[in-house]
Amino acid sequence: MAFWPKIRTGSRERVCNPDAVPYAVFENVGLTIGARKVLHGLTLSLSEDRVGVIGLNGSGKSTFVRLLNGLRSPTDGKLTLFGAPSAEAEKELPRHVGFVFQNPDHQAIFPTVEEEIAFGLTQLGADKTASREQARRFLSDHGFGALASSPFAELSEGQKQYVCILAVLVMQPRLLVLDEPMTSLDGLSGRKIREKLMSLPQKIVMISHDLSHFEDFDRVLWLEDGRLRMDGPAAEVLAAYEADIDRRLGAGMEVAAL
Amino acid sequence: MISMYLQGDSWAHRLPAGLKLLAVALGSLILFHVSSVWIFTGCLVAVVALYATLGREGLAQLRLLRGIVFFVVALLAIHWLSGSLDEGVVVAMRLVVMVLAANFVTITTRLDDMLDAVLPLFAPLKLFGVSPRTPALGVTLVLRFAPHLMLVFSRLREAWQARTARRSSWRLLAPFAIQSLRMSDNVAEALKARGGSAGLSSSP
Ligand SMILES: Nc1ncnc2c1ncn2[C@@H]1O[C@H](COP(=O)(O)OP(=O)(O)OP(=O)(O)O)[C@@H](O)[C@H]1O
Ligand SMILES: [Mg+2]
Repeated sequence: MAFWPKIRTGSRERVCNPDAVPYAVFENVGLTIGARKVLHGLTLSLSEDRVGVIGLNGSGKSTFVRLLNGLRSPTDGKLTLFGAPSAEAEKELPRHVGFVFQNPDHQAIFPTVEEEIAFGLTQLGADKTASREQARRFLSDHGFGALASSPFAELSEGQKQYVCILAVLVMQPRLLVLDEPMTSLDGLSGRKIREKLMSLPQKIVMISHDLSHFEDFDRVLWLEDGRLRMDGPAAEVLAAYEADIDRRLGAGMEVAAL
Repeated sequence: MISMYLQGDSWAHRLPAGLKLLAVALGSLILFHVSSVWIFTGCLVAVVALYATLGREGLAQLRLLRGIVFFVVALLAIHWLSGSLDEGVVVAMRLVVMVLAANFVTITTRLDDMLDAVLPLFAPLKLFGVSPRTPALGVTLVLRFAPHLMLVFSRLREAWQARTARRSSWRLLAPFAIQSLRMSDNVAEALKARGGSAGLSSSP
């Protein structure tokens, strides 16, 4: 029995094309929050399978990736997502773009693992019974069958983050956006999650402060004060970024030595 | 988030969510017309007994009370100052009984069952082309996170106590408000990222 009636708000056509290449086109995009200009004149297009985002604290990484799934909208310039202007695409974006937050505790809405997974399915229109069954199957397919009815809060950090990724994957998005997903994980869990991510068919945009996660990435964006400081193949950008950090450290020491 | 769901298969877990919610709602209505300390004492014993039927883990859930001690003391103090301590005791007991009863439902009910139980209440909204799922999810999330907020408060109080050796202060209310707002921001963002409260099925 369908407990949640499907409400059709008119016969609105889809505006997003999930197969669009590039999937995101930024043309002089800027974003102001309150009185603060957080992102300035970003011009780039994204089509690679694995894109990394790096930059110092407060450089605008989280704000930037939030543009990709409509959690934030640009205040300047033009942003095209999956072939549609971002303002029109916004309603459909959660279907195509999965978002994994830094803190799993901020992402989990439901108290148990199974409900958390099932929620994504009901969001797509499945009824409760079907979504529960499908969630259980999905969890056991991913080696989480035994934990299906566990309270989310009782999982280890690594398991929590894994469940958050599964909760997003179950909606079968085309693009996966991750905001520092490995920060609170120990080395082993971090590596496991990274291996999982690299094996996925989805395109990925990921923020991390641990540059080793980007070794196999196709492209890395380096943000500085809300601007694109450098954009290119992972090896080049990572090397330049590390050199810049070394330079800043050196400069800082000279000042301290005075 | 802190888990407010007690994993298990007890008699209470098996009762339909709608029935449990209805019982708490009716019980609360009746308690508002009761002012006998003895009846409340009976209720308190009864509701603690409910927790006891869930075993040791059930009884451990009573730690929730730490979160409302502050409110209970404040209530008593206000009534004491205005010379109506008797009434204060009744109000405080009513609060404790109702919080414990509501929490009992929360810890024994899956949130998606809760959502289904609440949804029909908002079904008339469909006539106006509004999805009933939005307010239903709202109510469910309030039920889900209310006990969590109490825990947030008791944690703040512990942090305060650890550094000042004093129990509580009105000064805790500001950080409490900020933490609550931050939490609701997080929940709202997490919800929006997965398609919002009305779901994605409306845009095929
Ligand atoms: N909701 C907000 N209100 C006001 N300012 C904000 C808000 N969100 C972000 N900012 C500001 O925008 C800037 C960029 O923030 P953002 O969170 O995108 O940086 P970040 O690169 O992700 O940093 P971190 O590495 O610390 O996560 C910061 O200066 C921040 O203070
Ligand atoms: Mg960030």
